[in-house]
Parts: sequence; structure tokens; C-alpha cells
Amino acid sequence: MIGGAWRREVTGMPKFAKENLQPGMKLAKPVLGQNGMVLLPEGAELTEKLIERIQDMDIAAIFVEGPSAQAVPLEEALAALERRFATVQDRPHMGGLKRIVRKHLEGLYA
Amino acid sequence: MERIDIKTQRAKIENINALPTLPGTFKRISQVIGKPGVTLDEIGRFIASDPALTTKVLKMVNSAVYGFPGRISSVSHAIMLLGLNVVKGLLLGVSVFEIMQKVMAGLWDHSLGCAAVARTIAEKKGVKDPEEVSVAGLLHDLGKVILLLHYQPQYEAALEQAADRRISIYEAEREVFGETHAAVGLWLAEKWHFPAGLVEVIGYHHRPNQSKRAPLETAIVHFADVLVRARGFGFAGDELAAVVHPGTFELLALTEADIREVLEKLENALDDAGDLIL
Repeated sequence: MIGGAWRREVTGMPKFAKENLQPGMKLAKPVLGQNGMVLLPEGAELTEKLIERIQDMDIAAIFVEGPSAQAVPLEEALAALERRFATVQDRPHMGGLKRIVRKHLEGLYA
Repeated sequence: MERIDIKTQRAKIENINALPTLPGTFKRISQVIGKPGVTLDEIGRFIASDPALTTKVLKMVNSAVYGFPGRISSVSHAIMLLGLNVVKGLLLGVSVFEIMQKVMAGLWDHSLGCAAVARTIAEKKGVKDPEEVSVAGLLHDLGKVILLLHYQPQYEAALEQAADRRISIYEAEREVFGETHAAVGLWLAEKWHFPAGLVEVIGYHHRPNQSKRAPLETAIVHFADVLVRARGFGFAGDELAAVVHPGTFELLALTEADIREVLEKLENALDDAGDLIL
């Protein structure tokens, strides 16, 4: 209804559909079951057998260790940061806060 | 533009049963937790009687937002660990999520982000019950949903004003309604018998200096709101960075390294937000 322009940015580690998993991949985050219980821990290496099991389960996507994939380019993220802070960056603490967020964003893409 | 003075409409606003579009689960939950003197046992039974609700609550507590990843295995475990106020708050949160996404895309993500940041900062500051502060972070903008459902044309006008004039939705609400979502949140938190401190956190998260009973917790949720907006995650009604209230920075005394750490933890919660489509 409202705010439809906003979209969720994908940050950090790549998220794989279970069809694209390969043996040898390591989990960047634990795989949790329906109620949040840990089924496979962070760092676990995927074997063919485990991948088969995962296919049978109701898991949408798996976080795998590897180079990060960003849906929003850094320039766009920084431009949006400028726009957000344009009218408020001269207020107390806001310039400093913007600087910290900028460093944080740059760190995500490093 | 039509103006309404919602201070005179408090009874109507609190009557959420009159809102046909609110999910039945939310209304039932509202009734259960609004019952004076409701016990943890009763709430536990209520959750356990609804497998879908059980799943949602456990998924939430086991997520990066709440920081007990994979460690809470049952409703009774959750209740014992988290206590009455947090469980009440989580119940409201998980049952309002769908309608939140429908009326304002991005508000759920904003709320999750605030819950995660509030918890991280509360832990850093040694607050006794960081999960309670986290719940306030999750629910602080609930008033926007209720206002939108009761007064859709007026709220849409407020959103337009915020976008056109580059003012905060908070200011636009005040112009149109004479009061803001923070007041609505306060009224509802009182109706649901949340403790006075928590009521203040929700009610004063934009004016943290007004909290007498919980100044630190209110400052935390205020700053969580500021930080999540500064990061540009989610959408809470306008696209401005919120200005941090003078005094909050000094009260929280967070270093740049602290804030960077909080932002890193927020990214983990962001990853989980995609999965927390309950």
C-alpha cells in the first residue's frame, strides 16, 4: 500500500537456493529448522548426502561462505545516505553519525 | 486537509476490535494480554494451543534479532527465559507483522532492525532486562498501523506531506492528528497492561527526555530508531535520517567503535529479516 519504493537490500554473504548447492561449500550461518532449532551449524561443510537432505526439507535458502554479493551498488547506497542526511547533517551529532554509517557501508562492500 | 484531534478519540482508537482488517489472531491476543492479572501459564497455554503461533514465536526468539539462535526449543522454555512482558510483546509482534507489511512496506523490517539494535545497546549498557527493551523496539511504531487502519485518508495525507515537504512523518502526524503514533502506542501499551517503564519507552521514543521512569531504556529505543533510519534499512513513513535528541548521545555514551559494532550486528538481523517472513 505505502512505501512500495523500498526494497530489502541483500547484504553480506551470498544466499543460495538449495538447487545450486555444491559439495565443499561451507555454511556461513547455521541452518535452522522450522522452530528455529539448529539443524546444521555455522562452518559445516556440505557433502552430497547433506545436500540431498536439505533438498527434501522446507528451507528456502542457505547462506554460504564466500565473496559478498550486493544488490545495491555502493554508489547508490552512498547517494541514498546523502539524501537522507541532507537536511539534518548540521544538527548536533548528525554529521558524526553520517560519517560512521558511511564507513560502515563502505566496509560492507570492501 | 482534514484535521482530527485524536486526543479526543482515545477510546475509539483503543477499540481495535472495531477494525475489520486486523487479523483475528491479533484481536484474540489483544484480549488475552489485556486481561488484568493474566498469568504466564495462561499465556503459555494460549500460545501452545495454536501451532502456527508457537512456530512464529520460537522462530522469532531464535533469530539474530533476539540473540538466542537455536537455543530455545519450546514455548515453556521461552516463557521461563524471557518473562511475561517479553512474551506479551513477542505475541503482539508476530501477529501484527502481516498487516504491518500490508499497510506500510518496510515497517516490519524497520521494527525488526530497531528490536535488534535496542537489544545490542541495552546489553552494552548493562540493562537488567535487555529483551524488554528489544520488545519496545519491536513495537514502538505499532501506533502507525493502528492510525493507518482507523484513519487511512488522513494518514495517507500525512505521508504525502512528509514526502513533499521533507519533514518527518512524526511532524506530519502531529499536524494532521494533533498527536502522534507514539501517543497511540502509549495508550495501547497501557491497555495491554505493560509495566509503566515499558509504556514510557513506547510513548516517548521521540522525546526521550520526557521519560521519568525509564530514561535509559527510552533513550536506547530512540537511538535505535535513529540508527536504523541512518543505515537506511526499512521504511517508517519518511526517508529522512531522524535527528538524535540532545542528551541521548551523552546518556548512552557510545563510542564510534560501539556504534560500528551495533551496525555490524544489525546487518545480521537484516539477513534474518528476509527469513522472518512469519
